[in-house]
Amino acid sequence: MNLLHPEQLFKALLSEAFYHRKAIVAVFVAVNLVMLSLGLLWPQAFSASTSILLEDKRVIQPLMQGAAVATDVADRGRLAREVIFGREIMNQILEYAGWMKNNPSPAEQEKIIEKLIKQTSIRNIGRDIIVIEYKDSDPERTFKTAQKYAELFISVSLGAKAAESQAAFDFIDKQTEEYHNKLIKAEDQLKEFRSANLDARPGSDIDISTRLNLLQTRIEQATQDLKEAEVKKISLEKQLSGEAEVASTLSREGQFRSRIAELQSRLETLRLSYHDTYPDITQIKHQIEDLNQAIAEDQQQRAAAKASGRVVLNEGIINNPLYQQLKHELSQTQTNIEMLNARITEAKRELGHELERGRRVHGGEATLAELTRDYQVNRDIYQDLLKRRENARVSMNLDKEKQGLTIKIQEPAVLPRRPSGLRFFHFVVSGLMLGIALPLGLLYAKLRLDPRIRMEAVITDKRKLPLLAVVPHLWSPAETQAVRREVEWLSLAVSGTFLVVVLTTVLRVTKVI
Amino acid sequence: MTMSKIEKALNKARGMGSLRVVSPQPTRAMEQHSDNQIGTNGVTALIEQRASSSEAIARMQEKTRLSKGMLAQNRIIYPEMDENATVRAFREIRTKIIQKSLGQNCMIMVTSVTGGGGSSFVTLNLGMAFAFDAGKTALLLDCNFRNPSLHRLFGAGTFHGLTDYLENPEMDIGEIIHQVGIERLRIIPSGGRREIPAEYFTSNKMKQLLDSIKQRYRERYIILDAPPMTESADTRILAELCDYVVLVVPYGRVTDSQVDISAKAIGEKKLLGIVFNNEPMPPVFKWRSILNPFAALWHKLFS
Repeated sequence: MNLLHPEQLFKALLSEAFYHRKAIVAVFVAVNLVMLSLGLLWPQAFSASTSILLEDKRVIQPLMQGAAVATDVADRGRLAREVIFGREIMNQILEYAGWMKNNPSPAEQEKIIEKLIKQTSIRNIGRDIIVIEYKDSDPERTFKTAQKYAELFISVSLGAKAAESQAAFDFIDKQTEEYHNKLIKAEDQLKEFRSANLDARPGSDIDISTRLNLLQTRIEQATQDLKEAEVKKISLEKQLSGEAEVASTLSREGQFRSRIAELQSRLETLRLSYHDTYPDITQIKHQIEDLNQAIAEDQQQRAAAKASGRVVLNEGIINNPLYQQLKHELSQTQTNIEMLNARITEAKRELGHELERGRRVHGGEATLAELTRDYQVNRDIYQDLLKRRENARVSMNLDKEKQGLTIKIQEPAVLPRRPSGLRFFHFVVSGLMLGIALPLGLLYAKLRLDPRIRMEAVITDKRKLPLLAVVPHLWSPAETQAVRREVEWLSLAVSGTFLVVVLTTVLRVTKVI
Repeated sequence: MTMSKIEKALNKARGMGSLRVVSPQPTRAMEQHSDNQIGTNGVTALIEQRASSSEAIARMQEKTRLSKGMLAQNRIIYPEMDENATVRAFREIRTKIIQKSLGQNCMIMVTSVTGGGGSSFVTLNLGMAFAFDAGKTALLLDCNFRNPSLHRLFGAGTFHGLTDYLENPEMDIGEIIHQVGIERLRIIPSGGRREIPAEYFTSNKMKQLLDSIKQRYRERYIILDAPPMTESADTRILAELCDYVVLVVPYGRVTDSQVDISAKAIGEKKLLGIVFNNEPMPPVFKWRSILNPFAALWHKLFS
């Protein structure tokens, strides 16, 4: 159905309203009575809220800066909810707000707590403010509960904070102790190692290598000398074998013999060219015989002398000075060789010793480095922890004395004077409005949805049919009477509803009901 | 809508009690007589009669006139209801019909889109609107055989009607035209029989009847109360016989497409227009006293 003009719509609505007058009044009365009773039965809700300022200065964070990373708690509202809705606080609230007067069973307590949780809303405004709002039917209890919530939350939070700083201190203390022990252990190990490896000092390897070099050089030198001495010895020995012990000036016998030899050689030579009968040869032979004779005589004399025990001075013998000298040098060289041998042996022994020491020193140095490192690291951490422990001690003391107070009530709860949420007044007003709007809306919907003609404009404008007239209902006197009575009744019903609404409101305002 | 001068004058005279419409006694006999004449004497006689019809109207003698109370009870308008919107509406319809027919009398069929749409109410009150004018008369024909309603005005007793006339060749027109106690208004009821075949409407006799009653008096407007369009096929046949059709659209009971279908069935030529009937409008009374709860209570308690 096309609604063309507002005035047509208004007229149609009016006509329909009159047509459905009974239904409209019935709806009006029903809606009003229902809303009135709803308003009466609706629990009066009072709400009290308190806001708490929380500053984000957690103890462990600055203390453990760099050393440990503390987890960040982003949703403070949720944190607060966890704390407040915990059994600890809820039980105290139950006690304080007077829920425990009737000695409820644990199951009932559970139900009450659930109800309390439902009536409590916790949210954060910004980052640092937490608002706790509590709704209840009793203003006094509402106020007390909201106040208590804040108090308990702060005390529990502060307790938790103190506990936290205590825990932080304890933790750091424990760590310090542990590192102290470690440090002592490292020191001991180091000491032990040092005492076990005295030569294991820093730089001893350089010392050893210098020494090794020296020894090596020495051995080489001695070996060289030894070789020289040996060569000298051999040379001397050779020389000595060539030299007579005594140098003899040619004696008679010697002279004879050398004459003989000389002659012999001449003889030999002559025999090559001549026969034995050669005068020269015969002569030479004679000469040799003479000489041999002379020798034999000489020997006889010597032997006679020997046999008589008389020293026969051999005029031809003298001590050989060269021999003597060589002999002397040989002896010296011999000594020298022996000495060098001894020296080399000693040097080698020392070398071996030194090498072994070097090996030992190298192994020990690695261990030492490790031990030293351990010691240094432990010492650094220990010193750091010592500082931190002192900081923690200060923080802990601050918390203990509540000096570092970071939670406080920003806005305290106030006793609610007026109920919040839907109030009786709202129900009354909305009942009156709805009582009028609902039937009108339904009529409007009917006009909209029902395709049957209720406005002459549909005929003239939509279907372009000629309209003779609009004939209103002609009321017969009896009908008029009936309608009059009906309207009177309806008017009475509406007035009665108004009266009931007004009376109830007055009674409600004066707190009779 | 303004009343005609004659009507005003008559009303005034009636109100002053100075006017008595005096008619010769045997009105019925006269009607019969004249109708017979139409049949027998032909056109010449008819013209003569027409010339004297104004006096004849004035002479029409009514049977006991229905009181205003009775009229109101039967939801029939009467001239004294001047301020009533319904009266205004019917006067408007009447004026439009007169304008359309150029002052000539005509035959108007009133039909509703659907049953119970109020075509009888419109027929009757349209007739009344014509009868307001002292210079005009109205003859109502109840063609709604299945659900006749005009006979209710007669009260108890049986009256011959249209079906009787159509079935009985012997019957005279005068026998079926009845007075109802309203000045210048005659009614032909539907008759005794409820079922008549559609052929009766197309019969020569029916056509003759309509012609004769139309031509009998020049100032007589003939209004047919026809069955609803959607319920009877006879209505279309009847529409053929009539000059104009008035379609009654009851408030809040038919859709515009139904109206459209009916209007198309009638045809643009015949359709005089639509009467949007029975718009719910509160009766005229003293709202202040009714809506005043104290007065109402007082009334309830002590009346």
